[in-house]
Amino acid sequence: MDTSWILAHLDELGLRTIQHLGLAFLAVGSGFVLSMGLSVLAVRVRPALAPIIALSGILYTIPSLALFAALVPVTGLSILTAEVPLVLYTLLIFVRNIVAGLDGVPGDVLEAADAMGYSRRTRLLSVELPLALPLIVAGLRLASVSTIGLVTISGILGDRFGGLGFFIFEGYRHAFPTEILAGAVPSAVLALSVDRLLVGAGARLTPWSVGSVAR
Amino acid sequence: MAGSRGALVAFDHASKRYPGLDLGRTGAVEDLSLEVPAGRICVLVGPSGCGKTTSLKMVNRLIEPTSGRILVDGVDVATREVTELRRSIGYVIQQVGLFPHQTVRANVATVPTLLGWSADRIGGRVDELLRLVGLDPAVHADRYPAALSGGERQRVGVARALAADPPLMLMDEPFGAVDPIVRERLQNEFLRLQEVLAKTILFVTHDIDEAIKMGDLVAVLDIGGRLAQFGTPDEILANPASDFVARFVGADRGLKRLALARVGDLEPAPALTAHPGDDASAARDRTLADPFPYLLLLEADGRPIGWLSATQVPASGILEEAMATAMSPLLDVRTTLKDALSMLLAADVQAGLVVDEAGAFRGLVTAEMIAERLHPTTPARAAVD
Repeated sequence: MDTSWILAHLDELGLRTIQHLGLAFLAVGSGFVLSMGLSVLAVRVRPALAPIIALSGILYTIPSLALFAALVPVTGLSILTAEVPLVLYTLLIFVRNIVAGLDGVPGDVLEAADAMGYSRRTRLLSVELPLALPLIVAGLRLASVSTIGLVTISGILGDRFGGLGFFIFEGYRHAFPTEILAGAVPSAVLALSVDRLLVGAGARLTPWSVGSVAR
Repeated sequence: MAGSRGALVAFDHASKRYPGLDLGRTGAVEDLSLEVPAGRICVLVGPSGCGKTTSLKMVNRLIEPTSGRILVDGVDVATREVTELRRSIGYVIQQVGLFPHQTVRANVATVPTLLGWSADRIGGRVDELLRLVGLDPAVHADRYPAALSGGERQRVGVARALAADPPLMLMDEPFGAVDPIVRERLQNEFLRLQEVLAKTILFVTHDIDEAIKMGDLVAVLDIGGRLAQFGTPDEILANPASDFVARFVGADRGLKRLALARVGDLEPAPALTAHPGDDASAARDRTLADPFPYLLLLEADGRPIGWLSATQVPASGILEEAMATAMSPLLDVRTTLKDALSMLLAADVQAGLVVDEAGAFRGLVTAEMIAERLHPTTPARAAVD
């Protein structure tokens, strides 16, 4: 462990951490929006569910390195190449969780909402999505942790990508363990911290499931 | 509470068919025609699969009829915009269906919020409704449904259905999920509430006792969704239209009829009465001359003290309170005939003393008089009239 190397590269570590978070956030955010659309479609048009799950399952099985390699001829060494695989990997996690969350809304609650005169859109926004929140947050945690890990692999596309993964590739190339650790350890810490943050945010957003009295 | 009065509801040859499925299990409805006058409770009752819930849901179009029409105040519900229609009809179900992620206040405010009421108006209305159903806004309004008892949840469900003051309420086994003691209390509270609100209510139950208790009118539905009989509870108990109805209302329908009438509905028989301090020999002569040789001693304000037999009345002097040796059951004019009969059968003397609200003696009612009321030649006054 070469502490002097780490101290000399603190600035770069900081920048790489920010880049790492940015890449992960963009992927999780895009994946979430895309999955929300697919999930609502699947819940409303039941026959669409099986193909959507199957497709996102197949995408999930493609090794990330192979996917990067396959995209380079199409999209070049661009941010698109870095992000597309990351986004695709979140689909399976998100769609499964969002669909399970929406399906878990009790039938009597839906019936009451219809009978009160909610339109379909208002029912989705004010009843179904809030009640699906615990499972949606669970999906968000899984997708975030796995994406923060995967961002490191996009470092193979060059130093504009990869976030902390850059150090891992560099350290590997130079057989310099300190640099590998300088990439791997903060990446893991990042994943754990984001997970904790989401647990806290989830509990705050769903006060009905823990406490009994509103603040 | 000033509110909109009930709406007139009419089923006009309404049918719901589920092709290719076993008739008995589906809740199909076959050519249902009936009219519910404004401000009345009509109970749809029948065994499971008789289409009672289907009939109810056709009114707010949770289920669309295959043929026929349902009219609310003369307007075919099929012609109305569906969300607007539903916001004008209260809906209460057995599982209540409260929104678990919203406080009691937000739940009750659902329809007013959809209708775009101002926050002030909604706040005032929620407090008013919670008090109306027996909940304290300061205690319950900010709770989540998970923190309520079953009975409290059901009350919130009723408050939510009443929120925008709809002229029509649909209630599907609303008290089915609570224990019998709470159910009885909720039923009584609801009937009291209805005296003030005078909504038109369609009420679904599988329990004939609940139907008789809650209904101004009762529609008995048979498997396959055919209307077997429609009338007042007393008509249905007195003259079941078919074997099915007779079996459904039960062998004790006579006793059930007695539960519909009250002691005050009977013309009580007179009795010999006297007050402490009256002349004993005159009272003795009157009592001995009567075919029913018993004297009832009353307080000055008319409240009964007890009986003296003719031989117990002294030949001279004045009557005293301590002379009364026997007492009969006191029957409040509001006691049901079923309860009155039960009290009389348990007592030594099978004549009850009818007393008014102040406790003053009105006359005698005997077990024979109660039994006579069930006789077919003396049709009972319908409970709703």
